[in-house]
Amino acid sequence: MTDIRQTRTEAEGILARLARLPWLLLTTLTLVAAFGTAALYSVSGGSFEPWAQRHASRFAVALPVAIILALVPLRMVSALAWPAYALALGLVVAVPLVGVEALGARRWLQIGGLSLQPVEIMKVTLVLALARLFSGVGERGASRPDVVLAAVALVAVPAVLVIRQPDLGSGLLLVGVGLAVMFLAGVSLWYFVAGMAAVAVALPIAATMLHDYQRRRIEVFLDPDRDPLGAGYHIAQARIALGSGGWSGQGFGQGAQTQLDFVPEKTTDFIFVAIGEEMGFLGGATLLGLYALAVALTAMLAIRARDPFARLVAGGTGAMLAIYVVINIGMVTGLVPVVGVPLPLVSYGGTAMTTLMVAYGLAMATATDRGRR
Amino acid sequence: MRIVDRDREQDARFTRRALILAAGQAAAIGALGVRLYDLQVLNGAAQAALGEDNRTRTIWIPAMRGRILTTTGEVLADSRESFRAVLYPRRGFTATDAARIVAELAPLLRLSPAASDAIVARARGQRTPIILSETLTFDDVAALQVTSSEALDVVIEPAWQRIYPPLAPAHSVAMAHIVGHVGAVDRVSVDDEPYLRRPGARIGKTGVEAGLEADLRGVAGRRVYEIDARSRHVRRLEDRAPIAGQDVTLTIDMALQTAALEALVAADDRGGIVVLDVANGHVLALASSPSFDAADLRGPDAAAAWKRLKANSERPLLNRATAGQYPPASTFKIVTALAALEAGQIAPAERIDCPGSVTYAGHTFRCWNRAGHGPSDLHKAMRESCDCYFYEAARRTGIERIAAMAREFGLGEHHDVGLTPQSAGLMPTPAWKRARSRTGWLLGETILAGIGQGYVLATPLQLAVMAARVATGRKVAPTIRQLPPGERPAQFEPLPVSESGLDVVRRALVAVVNEDGGTGSAAAVEAGGDRRRVVVAGKTGTSQVARASADRDRTATLKRGLRDHAVFVAYAPAEAPRFAIAVLLENAGNGGAEAGPVVKRMLEVATGLAAKPTRAAGQSGRDGDGGDDDSDDAPAGRRR
Repeated sequence: MTDIRQTRTEAEGILARLARLPWLLLTTLTLVAAFGTAALYSVSGGSFEPWAQRHASRFAVALPVAIILALVPLRMVSALAWPAYALALGLVVAVPLVGVEALGARRWLQIGGLSLQPVEIMKVTLVLALARLFSGVGERGASRPDVVLAAVALVAVPAVLVIRQPDLGSGLLLVGVGLAVMFLAGVSLWYFVAGMAAVAVALPIAATMLHDYQRRRIEVFLDPDRDPLGAGYHIAQARIALGSGGWSGQGFGQGAQTQLDFVPEKTTDFIFVAIGEEMGFLGGATLLGLYALAVALTAMLAIRARDPFARLVAGGTGAMLAIYVVINIGMVTGLVPVVGVPLPLVSYGGTAMTTLMVAYGLAMATATDRGRR
Repeated sequence: MRIVDRDREQDARFTRRALILAAGQAAAIGALGVRLYDLQVLNGAAQAALGEDNRTRTIWIPAMRGRILTTTGEVLADSRESFRAVLYPRRGFTATDAARIVAELAPLLRLSPAASDAIVARARGQRTPIILSETLTFDDVAALQVTSSEALDVVIEPAWQRIYPPLAPAHSVAMAHIVGHVGAVDRVSVDDEPYLRRPGARIGKTGVEAGLEADLRGVAGRRVYEIDARSRHVRRLEDRAPIAGQDVTLTIDMALQTAALEALVAADDRGGIVVLDVANGHVLALASSPSFDAADLRGPDAAAAWKRLKANSERPLLNRATAGQYPPASTFKIVTALAALEAGQIAPAERIDCPGSVTYAGHTFRCWNRAGHGPSDLHKAMRESCDCYFYEAARRTGIERIAAMAREFGLGEHHDVGLTPQSAGLMPTPAWKRARSRTGWLLGETILAGIGQGYVLATPLQLAVMAARVATGRKVAPTIRQLPPGERPAQFEPLPVSESGLDVVRRALVAVVNEDGGTGSAAAVEAGGDRRRVVVAGKTGTSQVARASADRDRTATLKRGLRDHAVFVAYAPAEAPRFAIAVLLENAGNGGAEAGPVVKRMLEVATGLAAKPTRAAGQSGRDGDGGDDDSDDAPAGRRR
């Protein structure tokens, strides 16, 4: 009933706009970040240094940034979608050319005094670009072959570049988010079926293109006990540490395996192990519950938004969160091969948190712009 | 309107897809929750245990094994402290690491190239500790600790070596079965002490080493270190000192033991002899022939010697005294008689006719005396070992009662004597038979059991126990271990048989040896010189191996392996028993004729000893033959 509904102008009060933000969702995300701070406190043996304090400070900055972004009008976001994507793609392309190498991977760019990971920017702009593409053609147009092809290209080009950095985790995330947005946009299910068939065919070929260490990771995932001292070590250690948490954990700062360094990457990719070991099933399940709540609230945000662009941005952001969580915790519990994906808002490390909060900022911006139904 | 409808449809479709996607995400998160539950709640304890293993390293400190001594203080088995070097490979240990360590330490550890290669081969990618050397001296250890740069991976641990001091050959052969040996633990069950899982753990395998393992072993001590992911010791969690094993003194009388083995060897027979002190159940002699020189198994050619012994068809490694199972034959009549008396099935004065053979249920059962003994009461039947009498007694009493009585007298079960291997013999019952075959128990089997044939099996040890129990009327339990000082010996319970029944049987057993017509006269210890006459009571047995037809003469015409076993159980002095003895000679022929003289010889030695004042501890026990200063009158034991 567009003629009846009142179009809200950009001049409406900021306060009114703020009031429409999904505060429950923001609270949930804050709770997750607080959980992460507590976990980092515990992992460092009961101290705010060196991780917990920095993590909390970062979130203390990221949250207001997200809220401020949420005030941006939808039209502006929509207008920025293509340029932003182009910029991100340019940066991603630049990485193998002028990027900084670290730990055997080239993922960073040094610009002035700042180092940034282009792939993080890409994650956000991809959502915007896809949302822009599909909202432009409408639901009917979503299943047009040329549209689908364009969407696939939008995803595949950066994904391939990223995977070759190598950064399999981010690459998978890009693909996952892309598929989610395409699904939400209404792309015919037949494309998905065909896609799965194509993947099944291409998988063996792709397997040969994997780096050695990536291939071993998959082999080890399938049978970690075959190589308990080598590649399967992390998985086995993580499992032991996690399992030994039992029902209520070993206590704050008392997780023997993590404290004694048996679990690698304990502050970043494997932080959930520390949570599981020290807070037990209760702690881990609470965090899972918070994530599930966040996912649900994001879905509601998407459903309630009126504008197609907004719906897709919000839906894509929710998918991003869910994919991060499922891959990371799946990896830590041995259900998924080890790919380096952080646990959002909990793992130590600024870029992932920033990316996610920016994405949420934009999602909120678009979804709350024209009022809810 | 159309635009609105389309909007609504679009909204609905989007909503549907959004909900589906959200549901999928929630399901994925739910699956994670389930997996978490599985790992932490269902399997938490197992993971925690693995975690413990991960972060702790346990070093076992073995307890010094107890020594095995004779009554005179002679050391049969000793323990000596040593050190060993153990390699604890840490995570990611490669063959190169192993090769490097071995190369560096080989000269210090005196490793041969072959040994070095073996160690490197075993160390590939393993986490289990590897023993580099077990025989390090204190100087070796000092040298190692100064020069070794791999202190993290190679740990020096205390260890012990089992030393068997060389004995006189006669003693070495006589005690071979008794002392036994220690060897590697080959199968560890979850109930065993974790200490046994450590590499190089040794446990008694045969003889007293195995039978008294629990006393000899002591309790291992341990040190538990907390280690981090780089195998560095973070701190010591536990430090428990070992408790040394107890020394064990054997009850064996060396003079008697060597005399027993000599008697067997001289008779050129395989067999076993057991002599017990009936007052306390002490095993004074336990000999098995053929035996072997234990020293051969410890020398440089041990492996070859072991192979030879195992291949020997005479089976010298078998301890016939405790593990050889034979039909007890007529010695079993003691049990049958007591069972029949207790059940009121025969009266001592009752006469049962022996016509030479009887028929039950269509089968003919013969007496050894084809002509028959004529009407006989219990005394005569026992004295002359009349089979027909006991067929009838068995028939009347029934197998269940006979089996129960046999158990009371130590047959058909293990005794906690303190060495292995031990067989339990066999006392058959209908239940036993039902469990093994589809046919039920037959009367004929009861009848055969009555004279100690059929399925009945006993070891010489069990027969000696039987004799001791008859002699005392109490449940004498054999033991090869002297009680530690201060421990009171247990009193043996009285047996559930009436004194009058025992009395009748005992008098009959005296008659076996000392009255005319008795089958055991060869065991009588004669009055002679200034030796007191010792009244021997006993029972002969001739254990049928091959079924012989009525006309076949059961003597030397049969192939040796088919000849009867000669059995004799006895105790003396009859009026105040001190010794019980069982002699079993495989395939030797008639019990009285062949085993009797051995019994006599053994009892002479035994009672001759008793007449002497007790030797002071510390004096050598190597008196060789007999141990008496007064030389024997009759050179007993030489027959054939």
